[in-house]
Amino acid sequence: MSTITSAKTAPIPLEKRRQWSQAWVAAAFLLPALLLLGVFLVYPLLTSFRLSLLNWNGLGNTAQYVGLHNWAELLHDSTFLTAIKNNGLLALLSIAIQIPAGLVLAFLLNKAGRGSTFLKVLYFLPLLMSSVAIGTVFRSVYDPNFGPINSLLRAMHLDVLAQDWLGNPSLALPSVIAVVCWQNIPFYMLLFLAGLASMPAELREAALLDGASKRVIFWRITLPFLQGTIRTALVLSLIGSLRYFDLIYVMTGGGPSGASEVMATYMYRTVFASFNIGYGAAISTAMFIIVAVAAGLALRTTRRFETEV
Amino acid sequence: MKKTILTVLTAVLAAGASLAQAQTTLDLWHIQTTENGKKIIQDAVNRFQQANPGIKVRVTPTQNDAYKSKLKIAFGAGSAPCVFMSWGGGPLYEYVRSNQVVDLTPYLDKNAAFKNRLLPASWSPVTFNKRIYGIPAENTAVAVILYNKELFARYGLKPPRTWDELLKVVGTLKKNNVAAFSLANKAKWPGSMFYAYLVDRIGGPTVFKSAALREKGGSFTDPAFIRAGELLQELVKAGGFVQGYNGLDYDSGVSRQLLYSGRAAMELMGTWELGNIKNENPEFLKKVDFFAFPTVPGGKGNPNAVLGTVGDNFYSISRGCKNPEAAFKLLTYLIDEQAVQERVADNRLPPVKNLKVSDPLLKRIQTFVSKAPSVQLWYDQELPPQLGELHKDTSQALLGLSITPQSAAAQMENLAKKILK
Repeated sequence: MSTITSAKTAPIPLEKRRQWSQAWVAAAFLLPALLLLGVFLVYPLLTSFRLSLLNWNGLGNTAQYVGLHNWAELLHDSTFLTAIKNNGLLALLSIAIQIPAGLVLAFLLNKAGRGSTFLKVLYFLPLLMSSVAIGTVFRSVYDPNFGPINSLLRAMHLDVLAQDWLGNPSLALPSVIAVVCWQNIPFYMLLFLAGLASMPAELREAALLDGASKRVIFWRITLPFLQGTIRTALVLSLIGSLRYFDLIYVMTGGGPSGASEVMATYMYRTVFASFNIGYGAAISTAMFIIVAVAAGLALRTTRRFETEV
Repeated sequence: MKKTILTVLTAVLAAGASLAQAQTTLDLWHIQTTENGKKIIQDAVNRFQQANPGIKVRVTPTQNDAYKSKLKIAFGAGSAPCVFMSWGGGPLYEYVRSNQVVDLTPYLDKNAAFKNRLLPASWSPVTFNKRIYGIPAENTAVAVILYNKELFARYGLKPPRTWDELLKVVGTLKKNNVAAFSLANKAKWPGSMFYAYLVDRIGGPTVFKSAALREKGGSFTDPAFIRAGELLQELVKAGGFVQGYNGLDYDSGVSRQLLYSGRAAMELMGTWELGNIKNENPEFLKKVDFFAFPTVPGGKGNPNAVLGTVGDNFYSISRGCKNPEAAFKLLTYLIDEQAVQERVADNRLPPVKNLKVSDPLLKRIQTFVSKAPSVQLWYDQELPPQLGELHKDTSQALLGLSITPQSAAAQMENLAKKILK
């Protein structure tokens, strides 16, 4: 009753009223998401930054405010610089190996059609296993004395190639990266398979009618069609590599002598083994900044190269 | 009918009353996750609960490595358990320094009989500034060199007593395609034992103490530390270790598998390793014997001095505990006569005086420890956590030949100057 009278006294145009109510509804729907973001993202981020200004062992009221001291130290920390370098190498190799491999597998499986279900499941398996289990399994695969890799090499009289895969500082990181790739290729394969499935058949058919070869169709039609998906894959792979932790922690713990240390393992060691919460928080905040900047740059540069299909 | 109702009512009321009394709940966290280990503690808790009605103890066992993080987070969040386990030394001191641990000295003064029953050496890892912050309970574990008697006999070798004899043993084994030492050094503490023993044999027990405590001109660049690094690298270059030692994981048992398979002849490890072998491969245990870490030419150390710990694990009371009196009583049950007997039956040497042991191997360890003029706690446990981590990093790098002994010593000294005041 009252709403009717108020509507009479204030004659607001119907269009505007609809806009307002839409704005309210939108706000109401966004609120839970904003709250969650605030509680689980913004607040921890700010807390982590605040902790990075302290010298604190994480126990009781013993924290001292040290300003940007931890940050200044971080800039000269050779371990942290090695970790960034290793993260960069991990990102580079991940992108260079995982995305092309995922693409090739997806393309082949897509072509194979219905009969490929078994292969799809097989290729997908590594993604279903927990990283800790994978790390433990590959630690024994790489074992220099009992592991199958070296046994196989020795059986083939290639003893020179039998290596100390995880204990040799120059081999530890590449050995771990190989497993990281093996674990993640199925994800990109799946992503590209979904992209290929969404490609309209007419595109291909029209090109065939125009006399395009299979190779031309792949390079000129299929690949450009997938460029949005490839871009997503690229950014995901970059972000994933920069904050990588689990497999490396299980397989080498960042060693030997820091040879496979990445930012996340260094942060973990600093906080949980060295009781150095302030410095660990500085590492994790720096990690956040590096990942955010890298992801932003990757998004921008890839957008520039995007072409119309 | 009425009578039954009345009885039920009284029963309910009585239960209610006892519930109201049972307000006190003590939390106890430990890392004894083997069947026997869990049972020994639970039995002690049951005895305590029986003798102290109205006090309930909630026991939480946690796996070793997860425990370290869990405990730290609980203290940081202000929800520490009443009674908690630690390894003593630097990490415990971190909690003590932050005023999180109850000083047990007055309680022990009141219970002199309890205190005097335990070995004097077992108190040192939990004593800071002459105050005691924990009680030893579980085991005496020192590092010894285990060796395969069969392999030694086959190649006509005798347990080496000096560094030069050791290098000769390494050479003979190498000629026969057997690695001298099994080592799984991914976690870095197993390899750190070599370094710590070398420092002790070269400079005696005071070099490390005075460097760690910043007393009497002590420094981590003392010649003993540098010489230890040199000898360690000499052993590496002589081919003293199995392939891949810096990447192998001790927890998965590879270092023992290398012994079982005869690919390696010796392992420098805590005496708990004998228990592991007994569980995994009882047949192999018959081939195993042990000897002390060899002496070093010109070294000042006593050849009987040992690296390890008497009494580890240790149990302490957190400051947040509402009933420290009851918690202390609980501590005494954790190493009462019954608990001691159960531990001996589980092949351990609880840190009590005049311990009667019948198992021959256990007995030998007991004699070995009783002869020791000094017991050096593991470096990574004695040092403050940050320095302990660096020690593990540098000793792993020394073993990997990726830094020089001078650089390892200098890194330790720089950090020590920064964080030890």
